[in-house]
Amino acid sequence: MMSSSSLAAALLSSVVEEHHHSSAKVTVVGTGQVGMAAAFAMVTQGIVSELALIDMVETKLRGEMMDLQHGQAFLRTVKVQASTDYAVSKGSKICVVTAGARQNEGESRLALVQRNVEIFRTMIPQLVKYSPDTILVIVSNPVDILTYVAWKLSGLPRNRVFGSGTMLDSSRFRFLISERLNIAPQSCHGYIIGEHGDSSVAVWSSVNVAGTRLADIKSNIGKPDDPENWEQVHRDVVSSAYEIIKLKGYTSWAIGIMVSTLCNAIMKNQRMIYTLSTLAQGFHGITEEVFLSLPVVIGEGGITSILNQNLSADEARKISESAKTLHQVVIGVKI
Amino acid sequence: MASLAEKLLLHIADEGHHSSAKVTVVGTGQVGMAAAFSMMTQGIISELALVDMVESKLKGEMMDLQHGQAFLRTVKVVASTDYAVSKGSKICVVTAGARQNEGETRLQLVQKNVQIFKHIIPNLVKHSPNCILVIVSNPVDILTYIAWKLSGLPRNRVIGSGTMLDSSRFRFQISERLHIAPQSCHGYVIGEHGDSSVAVWSGVNVAGTRLRDILPNIGEKEDPENWEQIHKDVINGAYEIIKLKGYTSWAIGIMVSTLCNAILKNQRTVYALSTLATGYHGITDEVFLSLPVVVGENGITSIFNQMLSESEAAKVLASAKTLHEVIKGIQL
Repeated sequence: MMSSSSLAAALLSSVVEEHHHSSAKVTVVGTGQVGMAAAFAMVTQGIVSELALIDMVETKLRGEMMDLQHGQAFLRTVKVQASTDYAVSKGSKICVVTAGARQNEGESRLALVQRNVEIFRTMIPQLVKYSPDTILVIVSNPVDILTYVAWKLSGLPRNRVFGSGTMLDSSRFRFLISERLNIAPQSCHGYIIGEHGDSSVAVWSSVNVAGTRLADIKSNIGKPDDPENWEQVHRDVVSSAYEIIKLKGYTSWAIGIMVSTLCNAIMKNQRMIYTLSTLAQGFHGITEEVFLSLPVVIGEGGITSILNQNLSADEARKISESAKTLHQVVIGVKI
Repeated sequence: MASLAEKLLLHIADEGHHSSAKVTVVGTGQVGMAAAFSMMTQGIISELALVDMVESKLKGEMMDLQHGQAFLRTVKVVASTDYAVSKGSKICVVTAGARQNEGETRLQLVQKNVQIFKHIIPNLVKHSPNCILVIVSNPVDILTYIAWKLSGLPRNRVIGSGTMLDSSRFRFQISERLHIAPQSCHGYVIGEHGDSSVAVWSGVNVAGTRLRDILPNIGEKEDPENWEQIHKDVINGAYEIIKLKGYTSWAIGIMVSTLCNAILKNQRTVYALSTLATGYHGITDEVFLSLPVVVGENGITSIFNQMLSESEAAKVLASAKTLHEVIKGIQL
């Protein structure tokens, strides 16, 4: 007979207190299209045990949290919490920052800067307060500038603050190359480095398939005199986001998968090489204190190594210019 | 002069074009895209076709999915307003239709969506005569019936998402009260995907232990712990999320992807799905509503002879009558 004790108490005999330490907790700040695509990708791929969502509108937060929770019976269970209070992020292995104004049609990434710096001033110190050992992954644009700002505001060592940078550009690059060669993107290897934006650098000198450099077969690949116009691939990458925004209003899926892949690499200490926005001072002749994308080794300690990538003289010059462009903006930013 | 591609790769045989795991999603709104994205991140398909009416949106969604390919097992993604792009699909998922508005019941959407289906369904069957149709658009039980009539397909190959999601929400809510994983809480919501759905409290169990054996009046009016509130929360689940975030997407997306995986892998999992229910629990009308069924590569191959209490059976029958009333009034 049931008295005041609940059904739960009658059904389950407690052996010991429930464990509260989350070994695989990720916080996503910003529940817009990018943040939610990243959250959904992490949940469907089973790479987190706990997910915390933070934003400024409580109704939206609650709706997104419920919508994710209602699919739980079909997935490995993930605890999903959501709040406007940063305390919900406590104990996160990774904090992914997507919050900020969305890039409008025709707007360059650099035009978003000061708006987002103000938002970061509130956000970054709070994330670090509740998860002092966390890794900060910055996605908000302009990502290279904002990763630099996040690093300054966080007080964290440079290995634990990095930006999504050109990880997605490189994925788009490989996809477009794969379309021309009619093989899988995973089998086409190539990197885009530098600014995640108009001055990014396609490293044509090392683009390869099965170790065979395309530049060895076609010496003018990616150059203005190339009759097959492979540099169009790079231009298409740079304009990709703008184009998708024009067509569907925003981008979400590719950046979502990218964030989820990156978080998995950190969680599982994979030591994968991706192009991510990191402190680039000292590389390729860069003297300024700027963040831009270079191929790095990523694992549970964040960025633990930077690849000493061989660049052609032209590519090295371009990246140095990319650094200067970013530095010009950085010095104008009030942190 | 040979192109770079020709110099790099020596062609020895023609590329195969037969897609063994192709799924078409009709409707690139929040539901359709969440389903598509979920199928891709879970690696359950080899080819995805998106169909809708606005070309720019289609192209944008296709590009956005393609740009993540380097991080996933490659999936060919195509998109068009022309149904020919759906050719050779194993499964066609229909999410197209007017979205449920705040306060609007599912039944109020009916006639609007019937007109849309008259265009969609025959086109899908024309290009993939052997496919399985999965209907998600609401009101799902009515529209699955409509799709079956318009398609000419046998009843095992026309499936409605029905109460598969309701059951998932049900299990989640039970899991919150018991503080264990939803996957370990077993229970079904059957009947109409809507206000007259039926929570089968008589069968709800954890590790084979029926909750009803511990709390005999569970889910009934006299239940002091008010477990029936869970069922009410399930019915309101969609309305509440729509009020909070404007629409629902993630849960239904995962649900569709899970269902497609069960079909493609011939899993023979038991889910509550909307199917022809004539002959069950005293139902004599020709209606589709959700019952626990076995689903695999040939669609619904068995229906569960689920044991219901008298009051549960009466509720399912009432649910069938409600649906039949609506069907009678539809112009096909």
